[in-house]
Amino acid sequence: MISWFGSRLIQALLVMLAMTVIVFIGVNVVGDPVAILIPPDATAAERLRVVQAFGLDRPLWEQYFSFLNGVLHGDLGRSYVYNQPALQVILQRLPATMELAASAMLVAIVIGIPLGLYAGLRPDSPLAKLFMAGSVLGFSLPTFWVGLMLIMIFSVNLGWLPASGRGETVELFGMRWSFLTLDGLSHLALPALNLALFKIALVMRLVRAGVREVLPQDYIRYARARGLREGRVIWVHVLKNILIPVVTIIGLEFGSVIAFSIVTETIFAWPGMGKLIIDSINVLDRPVMVAYLMMIVVIFVVINLLVDLAYTLLDPRVRLAARGKS
Amino acid sequence: MMTIQTLDRTRQGETPAQTAPAPLLAVRNLRTSFVQRGRWTSVLDDVSFDIAAGETLAVVGESGSGKSVTAMSIMRLLPPKTSRVEGQVLLQGQDLLTLPDDAMRRIRGNEIAMIFQETSLNPVYTIGFHIIETLRQHRGLNETQARAEALRLMDRVRIPSAGRRIDEYAHQFSGGMRQRIMIAIALACQPKLLIADEPTTALDVTIQAQILQLIKELQADEGMSVMFITHDMGVVAETSDRTVVLYHGRKVEEGPTSRVLLSPHEAYTRKLLAAVPRLGEMSDSPLPARFAEVDMATGNSTAPRPVVDTVDHAAAPVLSVQNLTTRFDVRGGTLGGVTARVHAVEDVSFDIHAGETLSLVGESGCGKSTTGRSIMRLVNPVSGRIMVGGRDMAGLGHRDLRAMRRKVQMIFQDPVSSLNARMTVGDALTEPFVVHRLGSRRAARDKAAALLQKVGLDADMASRFPHEFSGGQRQRISIARALMLDPQIIVADESVSALDVSVKAQVINLLLDLQESFKVSYLFISHDMAVVERVSHRVAVMYLGEIVEIGPRQAIFDNPQHSYTRRLIEAVPVVDPARRHQTRQIPAEEIRSPVRQLDYTPPTRQWRTVAPGHFVMDEG
Repeated sequence: MISWFGSRLIQALLVMLAMTVIVFIGVNVVGDPVAILIPPDATAAERLRVVQAFGLDRPLWEQYFSFLNGVLHGDLGRSYVYNQPALQVILQRLPATMELAASAMLVAIVIGIPLGLYAGLRPDSPLAKLFMAGSVLGFSLPTFWVGLMLIMIFSVNLGWLPASGRGETVELFGMRWSFLTLDGLSHLALPALNLALFKIALVMRLVRAGVREVLPQDYIRYARARGLREGRVIWVHVLKNILIPVVTIIGLEFGSVIAFSIVTETIFAWPGMGKLIIDSINVLDRPVMVAYLMMIVVIFVVINLLVDLAYTLLDPRVRLAARGKS
Repeated sequence: MMTIQTLDRTRQGETPAQTAPAPLLAVRNLRTSFVQRGRWTSVLDDVSFDIAAGETLAVVGESGSGKSVTAMSIMRLLPPKTSRVEGQVLLQGQDLLTLPDDAMRRIRGNEIAMIFQETSLNPVYTIGFHIIETLRQHRGLNETQARAEALRLMDRVRIPSAGRRIDEYAHQFSGGMRQRIMIAIALACQPKLLIADEPTTALDVTIQAQILQLIKELQADEGMSVMFITHDMGVVAETSDRTVVLYHGRKVEEGPTSRVLLSPHEAYTRKLLAAVPRLGEMSDSPLPARFAEVDMATGNSTAPRPVVDTVDHAAAPVLSVQNLTTRFDVRGGTLGGVTARVHAVEDVSFDIHAGETLSLVGESGCGKSTTGRSIMRLVNPVSGRIMVGGRDMAGLGHRDLRAMRRKVQMIFQDPVSSLNARMTVGDALTEPFVVHRLGSRRAARDKAAALLQKVGLDADMASRFPHEFSGGQRQRISIARALMLDPQIIVADESVSALDVSVKAQVINLLLDLQESFKVSYLFISHDMAVVERVSHRVAVMYLGEIVEIGPRQAIFDNPQHSYTRRLIEAVPVVDPARRHQTRQIPAEEIRSPVRQLDYTPPTRQWRTVAPGHFVMDEG
């Protein structure tokens, strides 16, 4: 267990190191931030001063190593635009994205699993067929279009829910959260639903396939032969056996929602990291871009670690030490 | 609830006077149908039988006979939408088929308990979870009480160190121990009836003997009735008082087990019994023997054609295995290094002559299959020589190995997965012939047609796909495919184990016919002692990767020298109704594993010659 954890940590560090190289080179190829940051009528002297202030006059490898040195001291550089540490800029936006992603996943689980169970248990019922047809829409409708439709229906026509912003927030652990106030929740509802739609379809199909696979197993027949209630057979004996693929997908999707919920955040003017990264790319705010990408790598590594730990809780036959070596 | 029960009882009492006491379970005109392609097809037709209190009823039949469906119909475990059960199932006079679902649920696991094959425990919950769950469902115990009771039950079925093992998962137990756990769960609510559906089919013989003995003892203690579903006539004889024989969903015969086994009335029962090899019936001849064939219409059996001696003792052996050793590494630890080794095959030597059958017998993990696979070079041995026609297979390069493989062919256990489902039978047969460039496609087709006829199929079946054939027919196809290359040796790895008794008898007869016509030698790998006695000229007994005794078949079965050989022979269920009331002292011993520490050096073995050709390893 501890050796497994250690080897995973080393793996994660190597991934991050590789990521810094790729990101650093990539960011340098995109364009010259100085051209965007200083006014077009600035003198050559002013320009030189900016270049020197940002350290852009030094060779790339030197910039890279001074960045690495900074990282080791917890410093990911200063944002050109906000003139704050890049990490701090990102962390200010993190709670908004986290709560959006978490609520989207929660909705996906709470709706997707029961629908999938129903569709798996009664595959021939009209309702199950309706769910399956609906899930095709969930996969294929573009997010931005669904977002606009949600705004049209619930904000513009019905006027039930607000269409943009985070609403009222409350401070907890030094960060601002919307989900603790009613107003915040009403602001959260539409973007979360918009993000969740695809995941609901995904979770539902996975659960349905799992149920179809598990139901004919001997241990289900045996559970019934022991006189267990049907509810217990399904929620205890079937459910735990189908959760491994579901947990895998939920983990991966959670990561991608955090990293790439840009479209939804833009449509609903949700002040999360997605909007920040788009803005930063527009003005070529290199430190923020680099810090953001590093942050995403860390999040993915942590989620994968949690998913692996969840496997061992779900299925005793999975042993951590043996994983990744076969 | 009470009133219905009383009403039913009185109604039962009004039926014409019965001499015997009212049965515990009375199945009346049971008819079960399934929806198949939109139509109701009956799979059980008008089946009736009784089980008296404390009695064991064996329900015996081949696959598709409806024996499991009978149990599932009684328990009402068939899917309600696609199945229909008609008739009556009276448990102490109360009709289970008309009970509301909730009341039926209270019968399952409580009044009637059921055990299946030992793989039926949910892999993601501990075994304690299973026992406690059942106890809490039916007996309303709280968690602490249920846990204490679970420990008591585990002791009762003799699971060692129950206190520690209660929190382990099914995969951490051996097959025999898992079956003990299922029995413990079945006993949890002191059921009146235990339905055992093939509970020992996947177990090794010595473990099967333990489990059968355990069920017998517990039945006597608890006074419960048992309905034992099996395909094995030996198990029927050992466990049951009365027997019901099913065939194609109909009851063909019912009666006291001794009567059914010793003087069966019906043609089908006779056919079934003629196909069952009986240990010890071959002691007067050193040769293999065919099974008698029974005419289904009349029930008369025709005496089998005697087997001629096919063995060519004069010539050099066609296969000579010398000091074969195969080991597998067990990896683990932080760096994934080798932590232990499976000594699967350890210093194994034997010869096979032309036209001879040598059987390798032993229980799971003894290395018999690995020996076969090492000879085929499907796994690479660590050391040893495998001489085929005087050439060592071990040292051969890729090209020569292919040529040598022509001479040694293999038939596998599972005829479903060993035939490519997307290839016609004709293509499957001609492929090896064409690959080895033995002749034109036309020649290959002609040969395939001839071989299909030889194995008892029609030549024009070549255009069909494997799924259009039954299990026995598929195994015939596998045999025909092996014969396409005119091999000298066929390695048959559990090739008849998955087949029904009557089909098994036919396939064994076929193997003996082919040995007569082609003088082919068999290395017959099997765990089934009775089948081995039928087919072999010589027998080698394997235990923990080593041959512990080898010799002529007669000598091994009539005069076994090694204690393991004796234990193996004694454990085989015998079709002798007298064994029903024998109790045997069988130690709850597990099958040991050949996993050894890295520094393990195999001891030097001493061999003793019992008689010419009969050798036994010294037990020290």
